[in-house]
Amino acid sequence: MATNAFRRLDTGRLSTLAVVGAFALLVAFFALAAPSFLTAGNLYNLLVNNVVLLAVVALGMTLVIASGGIDLSVGVSVDMASMVFIMLLAAGYAAPLAVLAGLGAALLVGSLNAALITRLRISPFLATLGVLFIGQSVQRLSTGGGQPIYLVRAEFAPTFDAIARSSLLGVPTPVIVLVLCLAAVYLVLHRTVFGRQVAAIGAKPGVAWYSGIRVPFQLAKVYVGAAFLCGIAGILLSSTVKSYVPMSGNAFLLDAIGATFIGTTISRERRPGVLGTLLGVALLAVVKNGLLLVGWNFYWQQVGIGVLVFLVLAVSFGLHRRD
Amino acid sequence: MTAATPVAASSAADPLPETGTGPNRRKALAALAIRLGALLTFAFIMLYFALTARGFLSAYNAFNVVEQSAILGVLAFGTAVVIVGGGAEVQTGGIDLSIAANAGLCAAVFATLSTAGFNPTVVLLATLGTGLAVGALNAFAVVGLGILPLLATLAVMNVAAGLELTLTENTVVSAASPVLAFLQTGRFLGVSTLAWTLILFSALMILVVHHTAVGPRLYAVGGHPEAARAAGLDVGAYVAGTYLFSGFCAAFASVLLVSRLSASTPGTGELLLSVLAAALLGTVFSRRFVPTMGGTLLSTLFIGFLANGFQLLGVSSYWVAGVQGALILLVVAVTSFARPQEH
Amino acid sequence: MTALAIDMTGISKAFGPVKALEGADLKVAYGTIHGLVGANGAGKSTIIKVLAGILTPDAGTILIDGRRVAKPTPASVEALGVHFIHQERLLVPTATVAEAVFLNHEIRFGPFLDGRAMARRAEALIERYFDLRLPAGTLVRDLTTAQQKIVQITRALARKAGVLVLDEPTAALVRREVDSLFRVLRRLRDDGIAVVFISHYMQEILDLCDEVTVMRNGTDVGRVDPKEAGIDAIVGMMIDSGVGEMYPRRHHAVGAPVLEVQGLTLKGAFCDVSLTVHAGEVVGLTGLLGSGVKELIECLFGLDRADGGSIRIDGVEVRLDAPNRAVGAGVGMVPEDRRAHGVAIGLSVRENASLASLARYSRNGFVARGRENAAVDGLIRDLSIKTPHRDALVRNLSGGNQQKVALAKWLGCQSRVYVLDEPTVAVDVGAKVEIYALLNRLAAEGAAILFLSSDLLELTGFCDRVLVVYRGGLNGAFDAAAVDGDTLLAAASGTRSETRGIPE
Repeated sequence: MATNAFRRLDTGRLSTLAVVGAFALLVAFFALAAPSFLTAGNLYNLLVNNVVLLAVVALGMTLVIASGGIDLSVGVSVDMASMVFIMLLAAGYAAPLAVLAGLGAALLVGSLNAALITRLRISPFLATLGVLFIGQSVQRLSTGGGQPIYLVRAEFAPTFDAIARSSLLGVPTPVIVLVLCLAAVYLVLHRTVFGRQVAAIGAKPGVAWYSGIRVPFQLAKVYVGAAFLCGIAGILLSSTVKSYVPMSGNAFLLDAIGATFIGTTISRERRPGVLGTLLGVALLAVVKNGLLLVGWNFYWQQVGIGVLVFLVLAVSFGLHRRD
Repeated sequence: MTAATPVAASSAADPLPETGTGPNRRKALAALAIRLGALLTFAFIMLYFALTARGFLSAYNAFNVVEQSAILGVLAFGTAVVIVGGGAEVQTGGIDLSIAANAGLCAAVFATLSTAGFNPTVVLLATLGTGLAVGALNAFAVVGLGILPLLATLAVMNVAAGLELTLTENTVVSAASPVLAFLQTGRFLGVSTLAWTLILFSALMILVVHHTAVGPRLYAVGGHPEAARAAGLDVGAYVAGTYLFSGFCAAFASVLLVSRLSASTPGTGELLLSVLAAALLGTVFSRRFVPTMGGTLLSTLFIGFLANGFQLLGVSSYWVAGVQGALILLVVAVTSFARPQEH
Repeated sequence: MTALAIDMTGISKAFGPVKALEGADLKVAYGTIHGLVGANGAGKSTIIKVLAGILTPDAGTILIDGRRVAKPTPASVEALGVHFIHQERLLVPTATVAEAVFLNHEIRFGPFLDGRAMARRAEALIERYFDLRLPAGTLVRDLTTAQQKIVQITRALARKAGVLVLDEPTAALVRREVDSLFRVLRRLRDDGIAVVFISHYMQEILDLCDEVTVMRNGTDVGRVDPKEAGIDAIVGMMIDSGVGEMYPRRHHAVGAPVLEVQGLTLKGAFCDVSLTVHAGEVVGLTGLLGSGVKELIECLFGLDRADGGSIRIDGVEVRLDAPNRAVGAGVGMVPEDRRAHGVAIGLSVRENASLASLARYSRNGFVARGRENAAVDGLIRDLSIKTPHRDALVRNLSGGNQQKVALAKWLGCQSRVYVLDEPTVAVDVGAKVEIYALLNRLAAEGAAILFLSSDLLELTGFCDRVLVVYRGGLNGAFDAAAVDGDTLLAAASGTRSETRGIPE
């Protein structure tokens, strides 16, 4: 019987089908509604400009959410990496040094989060919110109140192009970076002992502690790792726009949280995972890009994103609730 | 044989031990000290400003801060109620990320309709309706569909922010209305309407949440839903109510917002983080470590006085967010040691 | 003739193909204490859930106080004066005692809460029934387990209960508290209230109940007076065929010392404790609440840092200042609070079972899934964990099987020392026997087992030796075969003092 077969379908799988189906429908719709959607140029633009940065930040968020926490300061990590990178370049330092220093700045933010959460036992929400506020002040103070730093002079172009516009065997460098990050986080989260322990901490910290897992130490690694990924995004971001715009990283925060949690809907137990997050990022990016191509103005795009994400969630959670 | 007897004390006649035995009393004392510690920190900072910042202590300045805090306060109350009713878990607890964007949308509705010349009553009703509609959408998503509050309100936030932009085209919409005139220039006992609004609203919140049956029930729903259900409470209705209330707060705050600037301006959504900070910081003033209305008011004023004190001292405004962040961390770090440990 | 308080007839309830109840009756008169017993899965909790209006029966009639209740709902049943003290402590941790007692039935003054009246009334009720002064402003979070139970019962008393249903109310209580609870229940019975008492402890049923309904396979197989029938007859009715031996014997020799504790001290908890557990030995450990016995085993697993003394495992001195060190040193722990510390119910059987031993199934930090699967399948088979497959969530397993998963976690690491904290509480008879047999096998393989329990029969029946902790020190070491429960009790409560130092 049809209804029986329907009922027998695992609700987790059903909810996965719903999200993937919604994604496919959206792609199909935009492909029909906007002829330019499926062109190589647009897909390239979609991937390099919309997906890569958000995906790298969202991977960091995935790690954190898998451990049962949240990181509101991802934007600060992105910004600090971007700021240090651009400032050092402007001061005439060598590009590799600037990149390393930028990543170092992000690691510093992550370490601060880790210390607050594991040493001072502040809840992740408040700890990272505090760091977000502090990060904003630091940026204002370093830039005279939030003045962007543009590096448009020709001498900087090679550095930026090497990072953001080069390609290897026809694959753009940012995409290669994304694939590497994806592979790394996938392996760490889903294949290693560390990843398993993080999932246990996320499921029940007490059980993890009673199983001999060094909970604070592993959590610290999670927050530092997330900040490192954000640092990578920061370097990519400033190389793409050839500038540092204070507090621009915050734009990723809510999208990254959204993408990660949308991603959890494809898991039977609603656990965050790399593939799910990637799907979440793709969904958000396609909707944004598609609505733009269909000709909605920027304002309506935001409404559209909200409504579409809401609908996907409604279907996914609604199906889950049938039990 | 399945017979079993638990280890026994000698005779059956001993009464049960009294509470207030060592560890309990010590814990209670520690919690009290910590709670006072948060208050003392607050008082100390006030004292510092009073001694160093000229004009800080004047009644004029104090009411000015209260006035400035009105909008943040109303939104923080809405958020606190949602957190109370939904529980304080980091990922799955109650939260309304859409409250600030909702206030922005309501402000846009208010300003646009006022400018279009609608009757003030109609405008007010439409504004209230907008706020409640957004709240109802959240309530439906969280209670009806079972979507995580964090996620549901995030999507709704996008919708509300987008609608605001569509309505205002990302510009300042100036507005004039008798309601605004009343809020802007009305005074009673030398205190402005805006300041009165926060005072009365706070009093009402404290009265309703801490002195009627709504309070313990709401805390029960958030603190232990199964226990609340076993006590016969309709958990879903209470949780839905909190989101509706936060929608109401957004609409209420939007009117105050428009009155302060005589216009609706883009960027209201950026209030979100301050609102969250005020609502969450309020938990440290409670011995139960849950958000309370008094605590929310205190932390709202704390944030307001902090900004004001720095302004009077001539400290660059660039510092304000950072110092706020650092102080929040300080206060929370101190209290976190009094909390029962998680693992 | 007055109506029965509860008159349930021919109740049936099926979950899919599984018949949880088949024509079960439950009849309870006012002014009696009525025991409800049965092995896990016999239908006890299902019939109670039907009565509570949580489950809708497929067939049967329910009369409460002589009135027919067509479709019970939690609210309608409560309105008829039937109150439930659930096994889980359904109390809001951040509420005060007064708030918890009066939740949803607050005393009001106009529209406002009358906090003072509620506090007075709550304190008066607790003092009257429990001879206990409990400040009404105390937070539930800060109460002991027994006090929380009291608050739950007071909640029902405040509502003038006609029927009180208690599900395993003594599970976490010590004897003194149990006695006090029983006094209250008898008093309530004498006031004319009907009390339904569900327990796994037969002795309690015998002591307390006027009448017992025995359930088996979804139906009631007998209604007897426990004093007339006796424990053995009741147990016989509960179980289809005899369980055989409840406490299986060990047939192996005890080997060299594995766990050697010398002069261990934790300020404020225990002082100068020395004990030895040999390979193949099961050493029972017991003590009253507050005796320090809990803190002692927590120190042995690194949950607390001892202030002095030494611990050796297999002759090597170890510093156990965090659980990860204890695990590294070969100590495994089955904690009392299974859901908070034992198993993560949101993870699968596989993830739980391999959690402490991942290093064994990994290469360069990566989990070797093949090896992990094989090991977990082996554990599921060895422990006969009833689960559809290794990737099923622990949430869907019964309590006994969850406990087996908590044990499996340590089998995978091949721990040398097992520290077990009340491992058989809220586990049904069948699973208990399986757990004992499993522990025997571990002992036979050379493990040292330290077994903390409050169950005297279990201590004397299953262990080799029993150590009793009283006021932070060892107050006696007994040969389990030669000691009786009364002696252990006397040692635990300090009325009998053994010479210090443990005879080997």
